[in-house]
Amino acid sequence: MNARRLLAGPLGAILLALVLMAAAMLVAGVSPVDGFAALFAGALGGPNQIAETLVQTTALLFPALGICLAFRAGLFNIGAEGQLLIGGLFAGAVGSHYAMPAIVAFFVLLLCGFVGGGLWGGIAGVMRAKFGANEIISTLMLNFVAVFFASYLVVGPLRSPLATGAETAPLPPSEWLPILIPNSRLSIALLVAIALAILLRFVFSKTVFGYDLRAAGEAPEAARRNGVNMARMNVLAMTLSGAIAGIGGATIVTGVLHRFNTQLSPGYGYTAIAVALVGDLDPLWICVAAFGFGILEAGGLAMQASAQVPKDAIRVIEGLVIVVLAARRFVATQTEKTTA
Amino acid sequence: MAVDGVDLDLYAGEIHALVGENGAGKSTLANIAFGTVKPDAGTVQASGTIGLVHQHFELVGRLRVWQNILLGREPRRGLVIDAAGAKARVLQLASDNGLEIDPDAFVEDLPIGIQQRVELLRELQREPSVLLLDEPTAALAPAEIASFFTTITHLAERGTAIMIVTHKLQEVISYSVRTSVMRHGKIVGSMLTASTTLDDIAREMVGGEIPAVADRAPTTPRPCLSVRDFSAGSGSNRVTEVSFDVQGGEIVGVAGVEGNGQSPLADALAGVATYTGTLTISSSKKRPGVIPQDRHREALVMPWSIVENAILGRQHDPGVQKGALLDRKVARADAESIVERLDVRAASVDVPIKTLSGGNQQKVVVGRALLGEPDLVLAYQPTRGIDVGAAALVQSRLMEARNAGAAVLLVSFELDEILTLADRILVLYRGNIVGTFDRAEIDRAQIGRLMAGSK
Amino acid sequence: MNDAASVVMLIVSLTLIKATPLIYAALAGVISERSGVINIGLEGMMVAGAFTAVAVSGPTGSVVLGIIAGIIAGALFGLFLGILATKFRVDQIVAGTGINLIAIGGAAFALVLVFGQPGASKEVPSLEGASWILIALAFASAAGLHGLLYYTPWGLRVRACGENPHAVAAAGLNPLRTRIIAVTIGGALAGLGGAYLSVGELNLYSDGMVAGRGFIALAAVIFGRWTPFGATGAAIFFGLFEALQFALQRSGIPNEAMQALPYIAALVALAGLTGRVRAPAADGVPY
Repeated sequence: MNARRLLAGPLGAILLALVLMAAAMLVAGVSPVDGFAALFAGALGGPNQIAETLVQTTALLFPALGICLAFRAGLFNIGAEGQLLIGGLFAGAVGSHYAMPAIVAFFVLLLCGFVGGGLWGGIAGVMRAKFGANEIISTLMLNFVAVFFASYLVVGPLRSPLATGAETAPLPPSEWLPILIPNSRLSIALLVAIALAILLRFVFSKTVFGYDLRAAGEAPEAARRNGVNMARMNVLAMTLSGAIAGIGGATIVTGVLHRFNTQLSPGYGYTAIAVALVGDLDPLWICVAAFGFGILEAGGLAMQASAQVPKDAIRVIEGLVIVVLAARRFVATQTEKTTA
Repeated sequence: MAVDGVDLDLYAGEIHALVGENGAGKSTLANIAFGTVKPDAGTVQASGTIGLVHQHFELVGRLRVWQNILLGREPRRGLVIDAAGAKARVLQLASDNGLEIDPDAFVEDLPIGIQQRVELLRELQREPSVLLLDEPTAALAPAEIASFFTTITHLAERGTAIMIVTHKLQEVISYSVRTSVMRHGKIVGSMLTASTTLDDIAREMVGGEIPAVADRAPTTPRPCLSVRDFSAGSGSNRVTEVSFDVQGGEIVGVAGVEGNGQSPLADALAGVATYTGTLTISSSKKRPGVIPQDRHREALVMPWSIVENAILGRQHDPGVQKGALLDRKVARADAESIVERLDVRAASVDVPIKTLSGGNQQKVVVGRALLGEPDLVLAYQPTRGIDVGAAALVQSRLMEARNAGAAVLLVSFELDEILTLADRILVLYRGNIVGTFDRAEIDRAQIGRLMAGSK
Repeated sequence: MNDAASVVMLIVSLTLIKATPLIYAALAGVISERSGVINIGLEGMMVAGAFTAVAVSGPTGSVVLGIIAGIIAGALFGLFLGILATKFRVDQIVAGTGINLIAIGGAAFALVLVFGQPGASKEVPSLEGASWILIALAFASAAGLHGLLYYTPWGLRVRACGENPHAVAAAGLNPLRTRIIAVTIGGALAGLGGAYLSVGELNLYSDGMVAGRGFIALAAVIFGRWTPFGATGAAIFFGLFEALQFALQRSGIPNEAMQALPYIAALVALAGLTGRVRAPAADGVPY
């Protein structure tokens, strides 16, 4: 990403976000100075605040990387929210049911998230490949189905007899992800996410699979005519995309909540779309973007508490950032080939 | 700059030909005159309205003929469209201009020649004082061209100023009163057609001598591609139980008007569309060299570099793929070889291919298809939309591939290109091969008639 | 026998009630997509309509003003999407997703500012017994849109824009303006659908009350083959599933399964129908 493009795109969007943020504070009757002070103090004011910001960063990073992979393949996966939830559900169900030693739990539970999210994303991929069903609508629908499916399970079969709310039994402490900063919620999930970003970048630029995937996204018809099995690519990319988001759900269960409930995500899967776009669909820039949005998420709560600016203002700003960035064309959409 | 400091006058009652190479700025000039492109400087003045018949017709396939013709000027009865009145008006308009049309037909069901009639009528109902026609004969069979010009000449006689944008010089000589030549965005010559010759116009167009195509060398034919009872495609654009052979060391040209089954035939032979019948390829190579019809959509990944595009299609071959990884060295070597062999003008092999001119992009496509000396080459409109120099180079490389023993199937809508290159010509009409000519017995007039469906 | 009849009546009336917001949103999708703009932002436009209707109905005490304000709010978001999709050639899918976030977040933000509490508004004046007017109006709108699209010059223009905007330009018309107007009308319809939810069916706004109806409407558009009557039929079909949810509450089927039904039905419809129906040729393609 060169300097001009950076300024025209992500950086411009961030500046716009700050201006709009100030406007939102004024609307709420708060001086922007106080508002921003509250926001940044809440996000970066001390080790605990920074740790919490990084917790939010991690939660956004996984679905954003998943979305990045799908978008690069020309597939509009709007379903990271549902994929994240199902990934968390699988990890929570298995983790609360079987006690495992730490090292086994680490791999098994992340794998559960991978499988759960992958299945959920894969449904949309198969529908696309088999029937040509538009993945935008199918992933949106699957988000709702995921919520009802998960809440049915935690209200019914998976509900912990000990729990007060609708949630699974807690995971045994041996299955919790190791904590990076003492007395915080920040686990090694952050490192897993960053490693995944590096791996993705490598896959995109160096491997044949990445080459095929990018070809499918940039020029679907040329890809189809030149050895890329588009049906297979659609299934694979949607599955992997969902799987990455699903790992994210699993790390929230094993690293933060230590149980599964349907309040797992306050909309990370949607915010992650903005993160992926601000990061220019480049895994490493997405890490930076996720940190920026992590500041907003963590600081927004503090801002609401101390400056009385409703944190939902942040959602509005994310939306505007998405709209501004969408003015550039990211991927050659495959809409011309689908009927839906 | 596509168009640069142009002065041009059109006179009522005259057919004016605007000629020039692909990329010379002719279409841009027509669009500026019509108003769809805004000029940076300068003015357009006309004594009345200006009409434009586009090269690729701008029609709505799923609407009816009358809806297309009267779009934006529908007769009304209160708030709603007066459909009966509209149809009557279209019939009247058609008969006034000596054209026949079914106002109720859906445009997408009509053959291309009739679709052009719809577009022409749409422009005529606005009674333009100036009518611009952008490559109007590109989609017509030679036999249809004469009747088209009868209509146009008739219009001119009734006082319309007409400008025909074309690259077909024979038509210029036959039908126009005045000729203007464009090169690199400028008008380099304007003359009375009667006082010039075809060769003069051609030289003016290119700005020098027309580059020659490589010579045809004697070859020893051997079986390569054999097609029997071959059917592909659907709807009106399909081929039905065709059988033919292409030998190694010959170029077989498929002549025909667009939409007579060429695309499904080429796609099926290239292995990207389904077919029935038998297809036998005797080749030591893994795949044929394919030059598809639409380089932007079907051949290239526009944001990618020449290096990345150079291996598209071979990315799974051993040698290009090392384990799960791509061998970038191979890709770079291939890209450099393409650039050298096809004389691709690019700052480096790492620049995005979208920054290259159309001619240079096409050279990359052709160079990639010819990498590894394929036994069979499938070339679909290989010189479409590129300048004469690049076209001659592409044609030469195809001829050289043939001379080296490759079997070349050439699909082109430019009869001249087929006549230049082909050893044998098949005429395709409505999905059937309606004529076969060896090079020695080519009869241009007869081919033209067959392309239009007559004997 | 009487019991069976009353159950049927209950299901029919519930279906109409539940189908109404979907009909408005689906009609919004039809006019937008027939002009060539895919409207992922329907959900957000419904949210805008639902919230604004409550925010105006509350302080003014006039439900009519509230509904009008809801329509205007939806139309403004439609105008926003229309301009983004045409003048700025923004990717329509991404822009629609952004509009949803803006509307949903904006409503939650404004909820705190206007009513001083998060989550849900206070109760406001609503249509109550007169909500049948909006139900009837939904069907009238379908008929009206059918007439507009198939019998008027402007409708012909809209359909031409969705198939080939260049042909519209070649005929000397401005396809961008036609698209913007079409999407704005769509936004108004979606806003009305949202207003029906908040001050027709209920008497308050709560976060999440639109609950994906804008997305189901998108499926209804496809299911209804991009025609007003077809989309209305599909909306009724999805409304039936919502109605069954209530009718079968005590049947032993898990409530969540019933709640998921309309979405699953939409998924099945999407899989079963795609490829057999033809979208407008320039749907989602910027001009």
